[in-house]
Amino acid sequence: MSPDASAPRGQFCRRTRREFLWEAGAGFTGLALAGLMARDGLLPRVQAAPTGGFVNPLAPRQPMRSAKAKSVIFLFMYGGPSQVDTFDYKPALYPLDGKTITVKTFGRGGRKNEGRVVGPKWAFKPYGQCGKYVSDLFPNVGRCVDDIAFLHSMTADSPIHGSAMLQMNTGKILSGSPCLGSWVNYGLGSVSENLPGFAVMLDPIGGPISGAKNWSSGYMPASYQGTVLRSAGDPILDLQRPEGMTAPMQRRILDSLREYNSDHAAAHPDNSNLAARIASYELAFNMQRHAPEAVDLGRESESTRELYGINNPRTQEFGRRCLLARRLVERGVRFVQLYAGGAHNDDNWDAHSDLEKNHNFHAGRTDRPIAGLLQDLKQRGLLDETLVIWGGEFGRQPTAEYEKGTGRDHNAYGFTMWMAGGGVKGGMSVGQTDELGSAAVEDRLHVKDMHATVLHLMGLDPNHLSYFYGGLDQRLVGVEEVQPIRAIL
Amino acid sequence: MRSATRPIPWFQSGLVLVMGWVTAVVATAVEPSPADLEFFEKRIRPVLARACFDCHSEDSKSVKGGLRLDSHAALLKGGENGSVLTPGDPQGSRLIQAVRWTDEEFRMPPKRQLAAAEISDLEDWVRRGAPWPSESATAGTPRRRGFEVTEQDRRHWAFQPIGHPVPPTGKGETAPHAIDAFLGQGLQERQLTAAPPADRRTLIRRLYYDLLGLPPTPEEVEAFVQDPSESAWEQLVERLLASPHYGEKWGRHWLDLVRFAETNSYERDGAKPNAWRYRDYVIRSFNADKPFDRFVREQLAGDELPDADDEARIATGYYRLGIWDDEPADRELARYDQLDDLVATTGQVFLGLTVDCARCHDHKIDPIGQRDYYSLVSFFHNVTPYRNGGDTDEVVLSGLEAAGATPAKALVVSETGTAAPETRVLARGNPGSPGDRVEPAFLQVLNPPQPRITPPASGKSLGRRLALADWIVSPENPLTARVWVNRVWQHHFGRGLVRTPSDFGRQGQAPTHPELLDWLARQFMEQGWSVKNLHRVILTSAAYQRSTRASEASLQRDPMNDGLSHFDMRRLTAEEIRDSLLWVSGPVNRAMFGPGVYVTLPPEVLAGQSVPGSGWGKAPPADQVRRSVYIHVKRSLLTPILLGFDLAEPDRSTPVRFATTQPTQALGMLNSSFVREQAGCLARRLREEAPGDTRAQVSRALALVTGRPATEADLGRGLRLIGSLSGQDGLDSQAALEAFCLLALNLNEFVYLD
Repeated sequence: MSPDASAPRGQFCRRTRREFLWEAGAGFTGLALAGLMARDGLLPRVQAAPTGGFVNPLAPRQPMRSAKAKSVIFLFMYGGPSQVDTFDYKPALYPLDGKTITVKTFGRGGRKNEGRVVGPKWAFKPYGQCGKYVSDLFPNVGRCVDDIAFLHSMTADSPIHGSAMLQMNTGKILSGSPCLGSWVNYGLGSVSENLPGFAVMLDPIGGPISGAKNWSSGYMPASYQGTVLRSAGDPILDLQRPEGMTAPMQRRILDSLREYNSDHAAAHPDNSNLAARIASYELAFNMQRHAPEAVDLGRESESTRELYGINNPRTQEFGRRCLLARRLVERGVRFVQLYAGGAHNDDNWDAHSDLEKNHNFHAGRTDRPIAGLLQDLKQRGLLDETLVIWGGEFGRQPTAEYEKGTGRDHNAYGFTMWMAGGGVKGGMSVGQTDELGSAAVEDRLHVKDMHATVLHLMGLDPNHLSYFYGGLDQRLVGVEEVQPIRAIL
Repeated sequence: MRSATRPIPWFQSGLVLVMGWVTAVVATAVEPSPADLEFFEKRIRPVLARACFDCHSEDSKSVKGGLRLDSHAALLKGGENGSVLTPGDPQGSRLIQAVRWTDEEFRMPPKRQLAAAEISDLEDWVRRGAPWPSESATAGTPRRRGFEVTEQDRRHWAFQPIGHPVPPTGKGETAPHAIDAFLGQGLQERQLTAAPPADRRTLIRRLYYDLLGLPPTPEEVEAFVQDPSESAWEQLVERLLASPHYGEKWGRHWLDLVRFAETNSYERDGAKPNAWRYRDYVIRSFNADKPFDRFVREQLAGDELPDADDEARIATGYYRLGIWDDEPADRELARYDQLDDLVATTGQVFLGLTVDCARCHDHKIDPIGQRDYYSLVSFFHNVTPYRNGGDTDEVVLSGLEAAGATPAKALVVSETGTAAPETRVLARGNPGSPGDRVEPAFLQVLNPPQPRITPPASGKSLGRRLALADWIVSPENPLTARVWVNRVWQHHFGRGLVRTPSDFGRQGQAPTHPELLDWLARQFMEQGWSVKNLHRVILTSAAYQRSTRASEASLQRDPMNDGLSHFDMRRLTAEEIRDSLLWVSGPVNRAMFGPGVYVTLPPEVLAGQSVPGSGWGKAPPADQVRRSVYIHVKRSLLTPILLGFDLAEPDRSTPVRFATTQPTQALGMLNSSFVREQAGCLARRLREEAPGDTRAQVSRALALVTGRPATEADLGRGLRLIGSLSGQDGLDSQAALEAFCLLALNLNEFVYLD
């Protein structure tokens, strides 16, 4: 089906099936680079313009329809932040603190029909022109609410980290499917020649559970998988030249390599894969030059650093990554995913024991940077074309997990995510949970509705963007039609 | 490999191949052309089914506007408002006006417009005269009610019995190899001549990689080049087929298909106990040339075989290789997901059919009903749910003595007892909506026999799986042998005669050479399902030994090389690249079998885990240089150099690997510590083999990586590089040689095969 509906026959429009046939027949070789190379003049034109119309899978493409957003920054609150303590204001819950009530819950502790309420631990107050109530955990984000659309009625199919993470990232609770970032790059290609189109920045605390499954391209070729990008050290695996190898030395080696390879290619004139591989070394060489520049915050002004909280030890780390995210989208990276929280338990938002300690820590290190990112994008005129998403793989229950303490168990029946920029209406809220905040009751939304909205804003039709695999036209949103969340568009 | 400089009119080339086949099989004059049929089935029917049939078909609750679009007659008749279709005239057809949404009042489908590509397909179709298969009165997809397999369905080429084709006789005095006789016909039709044979140097390298996944040494190359024997090629084929490394290469092809991995994925991605024994079983089976029908029966029902031995039991690890969520949100659904994994894998791998597409509804394209799907589920329904170890997943092996007191165990299948569980069709695949009860039955489109189920004497299982296995490998099954010989062909030639090796259904491609496919399948079965014999047949053909140089005529007239007038270049696979690096650099450890090896992974990669290093051990140096097939396959932590070069994604069956070219591959080949270590080893080897002689070192390095003697130009270039690295960059001779070795390992000639 067709990301570029207007393309003539032989162009991208029929490529899912053609690509499949291509791969089935002879592999995918080489062409991944052809488009990029041609733009750099690294390939002779004849090789860059396959007459049969097979198109470089990563060449930038026109979206299927007019796109609002050009890039996505997904701030992944790994572990699952509590909605009733952050953005889903439930005044009725406070007085119930400590009381055992009837409420259906389903978390890692299984299904329960009653539980002891843990009243929200933070006060809420109204912000902005829209008067949105936000808890004291996010005073800085609070000041941005007029740019934010809150999705209060999110639901997911699993309240268990492993499968819920996979669903938030790939749409499926089963392992093995491509991620949202893979789909976006598959649909749109990459405009950045020196940076990956799908960059993932992990929390230095640790990776998320299931590791690389969370940025895998699943059944799609590896060209579409997320690349882990580090804010310190070697930004991309194997980007740095080894010790003792200077740029001029490497240049000399590559020049010699190209001579050998050109001789070889000349003897195989009908195989353009060879030229593509030659060119890939030039691209790699350029990446070594440009990627470190992209992650170098040295040229950012003092006020910008201040805005992101980089001068404060508490917010410094996440602030650096948020600023990096802006620099990446400025350089054309399509999809940037930042993990807030890593590893296990209280190293992420998974507040099973001490809610206050956990959420104070994680909100405390992210509130300022997130607000800084939104403000910075806005002041640079980038917010309109950059979709920012905030949320975890699920939310948390209004009741306590254990007999004692304030810990909350997982909750996929209802939770909050938000979006800002990229064509999303600000200052608004969609859907509602019940008065306990335990389950979505009004305008229920599912992860796939959120995914459909992202694709739609990027100019892709969620019901037509498909990839032929295993006998099916696979879609991120599944086989049944899904509409973007119109209310926020 | 295909080239971007060649046009790739897959659709047109599809026409050619389908045409040849259909005239041979269905020669009916009233049918629209095969090209039109294919166009209809692939582009039109699915769109009509998805977008129109809800309101305009026999199955619609109320047929809107009296218009039905599910039969040719109804379509031509039109609806209450008259005709909607004028064949040949898209502009004058209201159907086209409607889907274009040009008229505000008349927009179809009303809620959302079709994609532009679909609209242009429909226009194309009307322009072609709106061809429709003559015998299917209704398009009938999705066939929600009254699913029935029609005679038309059964006529699909892959469901026909395997024929007894006779190779065409040539005009020459000596009869050509049967394969060349079949291919020769196609070349004649295309007015193409075959490329000349490749030279011996090319051939030995081709064959080494093809059978062993390893490069020949320069000495082996020279010996073959100089071999005066007329049967030098046949002898070489025999020698390599007898090599233990053959099973490591061909076993890996099989492991791709059966989604082999040694962990479960998900949060913990825990290790499957003793999964490596299955990998070893596969390698041993290929090396022993185990008859393929036996190989299939062991994996599906090794425990139910009358002569079940350790080997047969280990084979049933097949059932335990899939992903497994140890903490599913919905246990009932997870159970059916596991069963689906078995139906999907078994259907695709052995039968070449996407039976799993019929889990939630009748298959939308192929004549496979939901009942077929759940009937297949019933064969597996008694399998104990996977628990990652314990009595139901593991068995103590009788013939193996493990070191120390711990008994040797294998990962196996088991059943819950001898009372058959009830299997029901699940509406929309939902375990909460059970429908009709089904019994074990094979795919109805194949007119199969009733399963003959005999509970085995062990009293531990139902015998259903053995019945399934026996049917899968029965000579009457038209799919299994065709599917397997096609896969073997695929790995020899780079793609199958059927280019969609796990989909022989209507969405798949028809064979480019149907008679050859059948001839191979017949031979294969008649020669006792011997895989090595099949290799011999294919490898001794002239087609396999052709040069990769394509003629102008072939590039023009057969851009996809469907006629196989020349051989196709290919890039080495991930394992071949890593193994070759070890092989030419010297440190390789040829030890076979045993538990998975934990090669050293970069800390940056481990940092992606929630607990860095979790589930990953540290292999001693000697094991670091084992062949790639022995690296522990942890689903969430794949080895970077393998992942970078398109390793099979292990969560599901992989029939064809990608071969991408990306700058990150170049970064890894230049900067990763693994490749740099190999460059260092290669330099050491050169210094030992040609001490103090830089020219000889360069010459030897190039011979090792390319399999041919270096030219003067090659030598001069290498020496100049070493000279300037020493002179201008001040490297010592050792470092300069290492840098040259790094270059040698990055040559295109090293990773591309002629």
